[in-house]
Amino acid sequence: MTHAAPTVRATPSGDKLAIAIEGDLVLETVGAVQKALEAPLATKPRRVSLDLKGVSRIDASGVAVAVRLHRFAKAAGLPFDITGIDGDRKLLVDLALRGQDPQPAQAHLGMVREVGMRAVEGFNTLKDLLRFCGEVSVIALQIIRRPVLLRWNDTLVAMARHGTDAVPVVGLLGFLIGAIIAFQTYDPMAKFGAKLQVADVVGISIVRELGPLITAIVLAGRSGSAFAAEIGTMKVTQELDALRTFGIDPVRFLVIPRMLATLLVTPLLSVYASILGVLGGYIVLGPKGITIMQYLVEVRAALTIGGFLQGLAKAAVFAILVSGVGCLAGIRTGQGPGAVGMSTTRAVVVGIVAIILADSVLGSFFYSLGI
Amino acid sequence: MTQISTATPTTTSGRKVAISLRGVSIGYGDKAIVEGIDLDIYEGEIMFIGGGSGCGKSTLLSSLNTLRAPLSGSIKIDGIEIAGADEDTLQRVRRRFGMMYQLGALFGGMSLLENVRLPLEEFTTLSNDAMDDLARAKLGLVGLAAHADKKPSEISGGMQKRAAIARALALDPPIIFLDEPSAGLDPVTSADLDAMIVALNRMLGTTFVVISHELASIFSIGHRFAMLDGARRRLVALGPPLELRDSSPDTWVRRFLSRTPSGDA
Ligand SMILES: Nc1ncnc2c1ncn2[C@@H]1O[C@H](COP(=O)(O)OP(=O)(O)OP(=O)(O)O)[C@@H](O)[C@H]1O
Ligand SMILES: [Mg+2]
Repeated sequence: MTHAAPTVRATPSGDKLAIAIEGDLVLETVGAVQKALEAPLATKPRRVSLDLKGVSRIDASGVAVAVRLHRFAKAAGLPFDITGIDGDRKLLVDLALRGQDPQPAQAHLGMVREVGMRAVEGFNTLKDLLRFCGEVSVIALQIIRRPVLLRWNDTLVAMARHGTDAVPVVGLLGFLIGAIIAFQTYDPMAKFGAKLQVADVVGISIVRELGPLITAIVLAGRSGSAFAAEIGTMKVTQELDALRTFGIDPVRFLVIPRMLATLLVTPLLSVYASILGVLGGYIVLGPKGITIMQYLVEVRAALTIGGFLQGLAKAAVFAILVSGVGCLAGIRTGQGPGAVGMSTTRAVVVGIVAIILADSVLGSFFYSLGI
Repeated sequence: MTQISTATPTTTSGRKVAISLRGVSIGYGDKAIVEGIDLDIYEGEIMFIGGGSGCGKSTLLSSLNTLRAPLSGSIKIDGIEIAGADEDTLQRVRRRFGMMYQLGALFGGMSLLENVRLPLEEFTTLSNDAMDDLARAKLGLVGLAAHADKKPSEISGGMQKRAAIARALALDPPIIFLDEPSAGLDPVTSADLDAMIVALNRMLGTTFVVISHELASIFSIGHRFAMLDGARRRLVALGPPLELRDSSPDTWVRRFLSRTPSGDA
């Protein structure tokens, strides 16, 4: 369909601006009409009137012209009237003009208020964190006293998804990191004739430090994010509310099985990563004339039982941090589709930062104990 | 702006057909939910589609709106076959209609104004201000002008529906599909919505295909009513709503339209 180009007549008489439109006022032509109105409106009239008598066709887009003038007049506190419409047209225009008064623009927050709001926000986050820790501990104690309260099935499923399924990637990374360490330390060590001692470096750094760390970082990426997304989606779709109205605590129902599963599988994964890391180191040393027996004996001599336990303890702490951060991010999810994405990001970023922070704290703690 | 005019088929009665279905079966996978639908929806008609919950109304609409190809049969919109059509053809047909989904399907990351603006941004060359005005006008039509800057998560379920109707109107399409527009609306808001549908229909000849259980709406503004039956898996009635209520040979149709419990004879 082609449309007759509308004509816009804007006649200023005194301080009154009379606008008359003729022709088709539809989606295809309304842009031109809006443009034609810019100049007359800029003359700062004291009253505005719109005559639509000559309009041959008007659609729901054409009504926008009335909306424009109505908002213009309201914003400037001017009287505005529309003539030349009745019946369906008048109905349509009246419907469209409902509630069209321009909202006062939201005042920009002063810096002091901005800082204050941020502080309150930070305080609330801290409060949520403390409450979450409290809830988790209380429910964990209840479950220790009455193990039937635990959702065993969910826990097993979570162990499979976040443990078994992570085996290939954790193993691959462990193996490669072991090889990389051996590769990077071999030359400098060989200068001092300490070729065999590369095995010590690999063994100690992998078992005490990098095994748990790699495992925890993979966990943050795979599982922390998944927890945040799963629980966050349930929050958005009000499933968490539905649980609460049944009197079911989401922490017991959703959080505990996930945290427990992670706590159980992470140390195992970490040991697995360490074993493969040590093997990875030998890939570099083997071709340099060191036999596998020599290598393993050297690694064994470098490791103490304390160092091994230290690795396990770290893995357990990392597991609690990553799963707790992921679940908490899910529970704190806001509204809208972007919210789940934000929670997932937060779960991974905060999770990894927490792991590294904890690692340095634990490292110096164990060092001061002399382990 | 010139548009390619398409040959529109006419019926024997001389009215132009906007949407025509012949032997259409709809469903999921290879499981048909309703079979053998023959139906002409005329230009400028307000056609209501009804039937028990789960009988396939939304599925039918998703076949009409080109997203789910029918299992068999032919669907023509403005004379263009969409069953088995290529993506270019479908894309062209999609500009001919607006759609409101049963659950609103608003873009949650955008304000209501931005939701309604989006099609305008994609398909028109209007200035920013003009697009704002158009979007505001459409939100005004559904009584949401005062909430233009809110996100969908900040308004009620009924308001989300109305915003979705405003979005369906964004490009003033000649055909509008509405999936249960008045479910969850109070009677006054629902009547306002009916008035808007009638006004657009009378002024511009907009064709409305509306799924609804709102008997008051069906009787007051529906030109014809088509009823699907999930158990018999077919279209069981088609005609002016009052006529069907009073004299349909089908008991289930009369019951449905007169709100009689299924226990009564
Ligand atoms: N994605 C899907 N896959 C398979 N079957 C589906 C799917 N969606 C819906 N169905 C089935 O199709 C049938 C029709 O569903 P549809 O959503 O079209 O019903 P409806 O008539 O719109 O119902 P309501 O009035 O409750 O909205 C239902 O029996 C449902 O089980
Ligand atoms: Mg439905």
